[in-house]
Amino acid sequence: MLGLALRSLRRRVSAFTASLLAAFLGATIIMAFGSLLDTSVSGGATGAAAETLTTMAAVVGGWGLVLVVFAVTSTLTLSARQRAGELALLRSVGATPGQIRRMLVGEAAGLAVAGALAAVLPAWLAGRGIVGLLHDADMVPRSIGHTFGAFAAGTGFGITLVAAVVAALLAARRTGRERPADPYADAADAARLPWPRIAAAVLLLGAAVNCAVLTMTVMRDEGTMAMPIAAQAAILGSLSLALLSPALLRGATRLLERPLGAFGVAGELAVVSLRRRTRRLAAVMAPIILFTGVGVGTVHLQRTENAALATATDLPEADARTLETLNYVVIGMIVLFMAIMLVNTLLAATAHRRREFGQQRLAGATPGQVLGTVALEAAVLAAVGVVCGAAVSLLGIVPFAVARIGSPVPEGGPAAVVVVAVLAAALTLGTAYGAARRALASPAVDAVTP
Amino acid sequence: MTVRTAAGEALRLENVRKVHGTGDGKVDALAGVSVALPAGSFTAVMGPSGSGKSTLLQCAAGLDTPTGGRVFVDGAELAGRNEAALTRFRRSRIGFVFQQLNLLPTLDVLQNVTLPLKLAGRRVDTAHAVETLRRVGLGDRLHRMPAELSGGQRQRVAIARALVARPPVLFADEPTGALDTRSAREVLGLLRETVRAHGRTVVMVTHDPVAAAHADAVLFLADGRLVGRLAAPTAEAVAERMTHLGDDAEVQRARTGA
Repeated sequence: MLGLALRSLRRRVSAFTASLLAAFLGATIIMAFGSLLDTSVSGGATGAAAETLTTMAAVVGGWGLVLVVFAVTSTLTLSARQRAGELALLRSVGATPGQIRRMLVGEAAGLAVAGALAAVLPAWLAGRGIVGLLHDADMVPRSIGHTFGAFAAGTGFGITLVAAVVAALLAARRTGRERPADPYADAADAARLPWPRIAAAVLLLGAAVNCAVLTMTVMRDEGTMAMPIAAQAAILGSLSLALLSPALLRGATRLLERPLGAFGVAGELAVVSLRRRTRRLAAVMAPIILFTGVGVGTVHLQRTENAALATATDLPEADARTLETLNYVVIGMIVLFMAIMLVNTLLAATAHRRREFGQQRLAGATPGQVLGTVALEAAVLAAVGVVCGAAVSLLGIVPFAVARIGSPVPEGGPAAVVVVAVLAAALTLGTAYGAARRALASPAVDAVTP
Repeated sequence: MTVRTAAGEALRLENVRKVHGTGDGKVDALAGVSVALPAGSFTAVMGPSGSGKSTLLQCAAGLDTPTGGRVFVDGAELAGRNEAALTRFRRSRIGFVFQQLNLLPTLDVLQNVTLPLKLAGRRVDTAHAVETLRRVGLGDRLHRMPAELSGGQRQRVAIARALVARPPVLFADEPTGALDTRSAREVLGLLRETVRAHGRTVVMVTHDPVAAAHADAVLFLADGRLVGRLAAPTAEAVAERMTHLGDDAEVQRARTGA
C-alpha cells in the first residue's frame, strides 16, 4: 500500500500542493522558533536572556503548532474528500478500509517529511533573523549566537509528521463512512456540526474569555506583559469561530438571502450553494476569520501599546521599537500563513467544482453568469469572515486597552480593519475568480464527464 | 447572420467534419456528414461505439465546434464567436437531454427545471414548469432533490428541463441507456408525445434497436459517416441492419475512395 501511496503522490502533485505547502510553512515556523531553544541551551543563556528565548519558543512555537495542525488537517481532509471518487473506486476493486487508511497515512507521512525537509533552510534563516532582532533589542547578549539543533529539527519533523498522520486517520475515517460514488449524493452536505467540534469551540471561547478577563484584572498593572495574554484572547477566539464557521455561514446566508436575490439568477445560485455546500465553503471562511482576527487584533494591541509607552518611560524607545518589529514579524508570519492557507483552500475547492460549473453551463449559463455566481459567493465569504474575525478580535483589543490606557476604545482607528478587509476581499475574490476562470477553460461537455 | 434554409427543416448539417487530435494521433470522428431533418420528426441515430454518434449530436447542438461544415438549427446557422454567444443561441432553439443527465445536485426538481429559463433571463412560468413535470409523471415530486429520485425519475426531470423552454429541436443522448425496460418505454413514449402533440423535432442517439424502433426514421453511422437510413423501423429490422453495418461502411469507403 505504501508503494501505491508514493505512486499516487507522484501522479497528483498538484492535488497535494496545498497540503505540502501547509506542512512546509508550518514546519518552517515551528523550526524557526524551536531553534531559539537550541540557541538558549547551546549558548548557555542565563537569566532574562534565557527566559526571553524560552518564552518566545514556547509561546510563538505553540501558536505555530496550533495553526499547523489546523492547516495540515484542513488541507488533507479537503484533498481526501476531493478524491472520494478515486477512493470509492479502490474500494470497489477490493481495497479494504485498512488498506485505504494505510495509503492515506502513507501519503500524508510522505508529504510531511518532504515539507519539513524543504523547511530546514528557510527555518534556519528565519531563526537567525529573529536572534538578530533580539540582539538589537539587547534582550539576548551578542555572545550567544544562533544555533539550529536537535530541538528545532526534532519538533519540526515530529509535529508536522504527527499532525499529518492524525489528519490522515481522521480523513480516512470520514471517507470510510461515506457511501460509494453516487454523483448526486455529495449534494447532501449536512452542515450539522459534530458535537466534539462544538465542544472544542466552546472550550476555546471559554479560554479566550478567560484571557480577556485576566488581561483586565490580574495583568492590569503588569504593563507590556499583558500583551501576550490579550493576543491569546484574540487568537483563541478566532480559532473558536473558525471551528464554528459552518454554523456562522448558515446563519449569515439566512440573513443575506434577500439582498443576494437582488442579483438575479447569479444571486439565487449563490444562495443555493451557500446553503447546500455550507461545510465546503465554510472551510474557506475559516482562514479568513483567523486572518482577520489575528491581524486586526495584533495591530490594535501594538498601537495601544505604543500609545501607552508614549506616556510612560519604563522602556528605552529603541528597545520598544525593536519589540514592535519583532511582534510584527511574528504576526506577519502567522498572517502570511493564513493568507496562503486561504488561497490554497479556495483554489482546491474551486477546481473541484469544474463539474458543477459544466452542469450550469449545459443548463444554459454563460461563462459570465458562472463567474458572477462565484464572485458573489466569494464576496459573502469574505464579508462574513471579516466581520466575525474583527468582532472576535475585540476580545483581546478592548481588555488590553482598558488595562493599558484606561479606555475601552483601542488606539489606531479603523484603518487596520479596513486594510485587513480589503486584503481578505482581494485574496478571496481574486483567487476564486482566477480558479473559476481556469475551471471554465475546458468545454462544458468535457467538464461534466467524470 | 441568419441564413434561411428550406421551409419546414428543423435541422440541417452540411458536410460536417470533426477531427480529434493532431498528427499521427489524428482521428476523424465525423468524416463529412450531411443530413436534413424535417420539422416534427423523430429520428434515431445508431451506430457502434466510436462511430461518432455523440460527436454528431454535440456538433449539431452547438456543444462542440465542428472542424468543418455548417449546421443550421430551426433555419438559423449555428455559428457563435464564443461560448456565451453559442449558449444564447442554444437557449432559444435547442433542448438537450444528456447521457449523464447533468442535473444540478444542489437544486430540487422544480428548480432544476426552471433554471434554464432563469439563466436566459426569461419570465419563469412556474405553472408551465409544473405542468411539464406533471406530464412526465413527476407532479408529486416537485421539491425532491435529485439524490432522492430513481434513475428513471432523474431521466424524466432531465427531459422536462429540456422541454420547458419550448425549443423547436430536442436532442437526447442515450436517454434510455441506464434505465430498466419499463422506465425506458415511458421515456420513449414521452419523446414520441413531444413530437406528436407539440410538433417538436427530436433527434436521439441510442444503441438499443427497441428504442430506435420508436422513431420515424433511423440514421446509421459508422466510422464517422452516414451509411444508411431506415424509415418506419422495427426493432428486428434495425438489429439486422446493425449486424451488417461494418459491411455497409466498407462499401461506402470503397465508393468514396477514402
